[in-house]
Amino acid sequence: MEKKEETMIPEIVDSVETLEAKMKAMREAQKIFATFTQEQVDKIFYEAAKAANKQRIPLAKMAVEETKRGIVEDKVIKNHYAAEYIYNAYKNTKTCGVIEEDAAYGIKKVAEPIGLVAAVIPTTNPTSTAIFKTLICLKTRNAIIISPHPAAKACTIAAAKIVLDAAVAAGAPQGIIGWIDVPSLELTNTVMKEADIILATGGPGMVKAAYSSGKPALGVGAGNTPVIIDDTADVRMAVNSIIHSKTFDNGMICASEQSVTVLESVYEEAKKEFAYRGCYFLKPGEELDKVRKTIIINGALNSKIPGKSAYEIAKLAGVDVPENTKILIGEVESVDISEEFAHEKLSPVLAMYKAKTFDEALEKAAQLVADGGYGHTASLYVHPAQTEKIAKHAAAMKTCRVLVNTPSSHGGIGDLYNFKLAPSLTLGCGSWGGNSVSENVGVKHLLNIKTVAERRENMLWFRTPEKVYFKKGCMPVALDELGTIMHKKKAFIVTDTFLYKNGYVGAIEKKLDEMGIQHTCFYDVAPDPTLQCARQGTAMMRSFEPDTIIALGGGSAMDAAKIMWVMYEYPDVNFEDMAMDFMDIRKRVYTFPEMGKKAYFVAIPTSSGTGSEVTPFAIITDADTGVKWPLADYQLLPNMAIVDVDNMMTQPKGLTSASGIDVMTHAIESYVSIMASDYTQGLSMRAVKMVFDYLPSAYENGANDPVARERMANASCLAGMAFANAFLGLNHSMAHKLGAFHHLPHGVANAVLLTEVMRYNAAEAPTKMGTFSQYEYPHALARYAELGRFAGCQGATDEEVFENFIARLEELKEKIGIKKSIKEYGIDEKYFLDTLDDMVEQAFNDQCTGANPRYPLMKEMKEIYLKCYYGK
Amino acid sequence: MNLEQKELIVKRSYKEVYKSEEGIVKVFEPEHPKANVFNEALNTARVEATGLDIPKVKEVGQVDGKWALVIEYKEGKTLEEMMAADPEHLEGYMERFVDLQLEVHGKKSPLLNKLKDKLSRQINSLKEIDATTRYELLTRLESMPKHDKLCHGDFNPSNIIVGEDGEMTVVDWAHATQGNASADAAMTYLMFALKDQKMADLYMRLFCKKSDTARQYVQNWLPIVAAAQLTKNNELEKDFLMKWIDVVDFQ
Repeated sequence: MEKKEETMIPEIVDSVETLEAKMKAMREAQKIFATFTQEQVDKIFYEAAKAANKQRIPLAKMAVEETKRGIVEDKVIKNHYAAEYIYNAYKNTKTCGVIEEDAAYGIKKVAEPIGLVAAVIPTTNPTSTAIFKTLICLKTRNAIIISPHPAAKACTIAAAKIVLDAAVAAGAPQGIIGWIDVPSLELTNTVMKEADIILATGGPGMVKAAYSSGKPALGVGAGNTPVIIDDTADVRMAVNSIIHSKTFDNGMICASEQSVTVLESVYEEAKKEFAYRGCYFLKPGEELDKVRKTIIINGALNSKIPGKSAYEIAKLAGVDVPENTKILIGEVESVDISEEFAHEKLSPVLAMYKAKTFDEALEKAAQLVADGGYGHTASLYVHPAQTEKIAKHAAAMKTCRVLVNTPSSHGGIGDLYNFKLAPSLTLGCGSWGGNSVSENVGVKHLLNIKTVAERRENMLWFRTPEKVYFKKGCMPVALDELGTIMHKKKAFIVTDTFLYKNGYVGAIEKKLDEMGIQHTCFYDVAPDPTLQCARQGTAMMRSFEPDTIIALGGGSAMDAAKIMWVMYEYPDVNFEDMAMDFMDIRKRVYTFPEMGKKAYFVAIPTSSGTGSEVTPFAIITDADTGVKWPLADYQLLPNMAIVDVDNMMTQPKGLTSASGIDVMTHAIESYVSIMASDYTQGLSMRAVKMVFDYLPSAYENGANDPVARERMANASCLAGMAFANAFLGLNHSMAHKLGAFHHLPHGVANAVLLTEVMRYNAAEAPTKMGTFSQYEYPHALARYAELGRFAGCQGATDEEVFENFIARLEELKEKIGIKKSIKEYGIDEKYFLDTLDDMVEQAFNDQCTGANPRYPLMKEMKEIYLKCYYGK
Repeated sequence: MNLEQKELIVKRSYKEVYKSEEGIVKVFEPEHPKANVFNEALNTARVEATGLDIPKVKEVGQVDGKWALVIEYKEGKTLEEMMAADPEHLEGYMERFVDLQLEVHGKKSPLLNKLKDKLSRQINSLKEIDATTRYELLTRLESMPKHDKLCHGDFNPSNIIVGEDGEMTVVDWAHATQGNASADAAMTYLMFALKDQKMADLYMRLFCKKSDTARQYVQNWLPIVAAAQLTKNNELEKDFLMKWIDVVDFQ
């Protein structure tokens, strides 16, 4: 059986048929390789690198003999580098299975091989590239099939075979590395079309072919590295680095310098140094022209040039130079592509330009990059302290490697002159070079990284003012802290005219006077406070410069005071930014400024409804444009809340009713919100029960039942803390717009919608549910029932309890004088219907909608509005 | 048809061309493949269908046992003659020459053979160059953009007839294909360069300007069209062409 399979694998790959059979066999081998452990792979990687390393000299000799290009001793370095540096860089890299794990976040990264890699290998660096590519494939459990260049096939295959034999001896599957024995374009194209990914090294033609094969390609393009020698550079170091790099393997590294632009003031010095170290300056006129016409033919590189010595090239051109000449230098002026010296030469031939200024040198370099080196490499010699020039150069070069004071051949391939640049013989050129990678190609490009993400729940929070003081008559005691503990000096009171005129501020002023705290009072806040009003208050605040703000009143005074607080602390804030909607308050694009740097904020409610004393919300209306800015951020939480029912005794009946039912809505909505938590639900439950128990009496008896008043004040604050953290829902979204369009008081608007929205949310198979990790399935009905039971509603099933809960709410509404429908509040039917679609869309877009347990469709919202308008 | 009295106007190794009252008669030697004769007729008919005003093919038949084509005669001098006779106005002639070529490139003929296939075949057939060079050339060809413009394939002034009224007509559509216009221009450039580099440069400059094409883009085709030209086995051109062919891609 085994034998039969072996005979199917061709010995020699020289046709499409044999190639396909070979690739099929390699895929089988790779399947086995894919099951190897990190330990097995690391052993194979080690043995393979070691074997390649040992054969570096024979392989270098073979490469030079076969291609007739380059220098044996330099190719030895390249082979050595490809084995040693690549091994060293990746020996500890995890490439198999789970490579990263975070149990707390529930995230795991799993490395998988890609499969069969096609490698195209050029004549310029055949053996070293083969070693490099086979090693990184072994490390990543991929199979690799090599398409050698016909002019370098024997040495390329020899290198691949050395790595293969060592890998197999170390346990790798047979045939995990393969190659085309008789290369042709047809076979190269077949390899590229049928592999899983292509590691293409070569010129634009090959890279283009790789990219058009339809398979993902890690292609690299041509370079045309321009060097600049700035007048601050160490000229001797610069010139000798360039010579070192340019003569390396006779200039065949694609990152090698092709031109040097020298600043005028050091031009002669550089020239002298080049000449002193054995470079030959071509004489202007005939000599220069002869070389020009020899190196480039019709804009293409003469194939007799790459990897030849300076002497050989000069001879070919008919120019006499000493045999040990290192580089032929042509002093030229044009950087246009029509100048032969401006091209890539892949040989020890260098163009030299003179620039008057650094900017001119940059312009020249940028043009040379455009001439044929987009995305590859650029180089600069400069004094290391010239950070501005270094930055300017880096910004101007459209190349993926920008080397500073570094020989570019050695520098570009990494880890020789900079130890953070990854070692590689395949250098990505980014989108500028038509590549998918812009960095040096390495093992990470040959892996598919799977991310395994497990469900996790959001962190929740419970945030509230640092101090919440409550009890009938507690206000002066609470305020005492301002003087005795905090040593405040100046307090600014914000309230409304009614409260001011009726002496509600007196008690505060008295206490402040006692403590020697200076104070002033802004009492012009009207219901639905405006930005204009807040601006007036802020102006007053700025001249008074308080260290404490005391907001006394209902929602309007507290909201206006919060806005003044913001404008006082941050005069330049933009309300449009601050009012930005969010899906998750922690991820909102806008970051709210930190409050409390100038003033401490004390909130003292005079009605039991909004809970604004403990919430991070404030609404302000721009009277000029009519736009309402709803602000929400925990920076807006007051620092101290004082719930003293003595401030609330004389609330009128209408206010008691509307704000009381508002409390009920806050409690119910926050209880079923997708953000509801154990921490908020306890508060909501207690608030619901207290509203049922005490609102009727507070409504009927007012100041005559101080207990009912106080319990309502507490219920309001409890519900406020609940919805400050769990947020609200659709009821409030729709009530906000109903209020805005038809001027219904906020509490009344909530009340007329309440039971209908609850029925809507209670659906066990809603059209859509809210998106929140914690919200696992639709369970609003169960929550309503739980809440109902706590409030004393009975029933055998959740449905029954829910119905009784609804009935009790309807009963409560009736007791406190809430009407049955929107229509009964005198809203014109035609106007209501005409504005309905706008109202629906705006309500849908309201910030409160996001926390609703059922994600609403607009047509469903329209239905709810209609039902509530007509009272079913 | 009796050719005795007809005027012989061109004689090549594989064909003789006569002028008769029916038109131009191209008589092919028996070694010339029959399929090539029919292909020339078919190409011409296809180009006629593009709406270009060219001498129409009238007949494919046999004369004295040899295959022959009868094509409409177009009265006038060749542009080559005109250019030679009036060198002062060379640039003007060249401009009109390029305009005419661009008009041809503006046409499409979807059923014509593909230029790229033809070039690929020609490169593969070359025994004068080694496998490595063929590989380089084919890689280069493969990477060139694939277009479908009408290409004459031998667009040079000797194939342009200038009538009494100055009207120019393109003749001899034997090599017509569809493909990349810059390859067609590269071929024209090569024709000029084989005879006169100055004229070649003038042509290149005008073509690139009028077609808004980068010179390098046309130049990229030169090794390929030089290889195609090499298949014509002209010993005198060989060294010149080899120099153009023997280049490598930048890396």
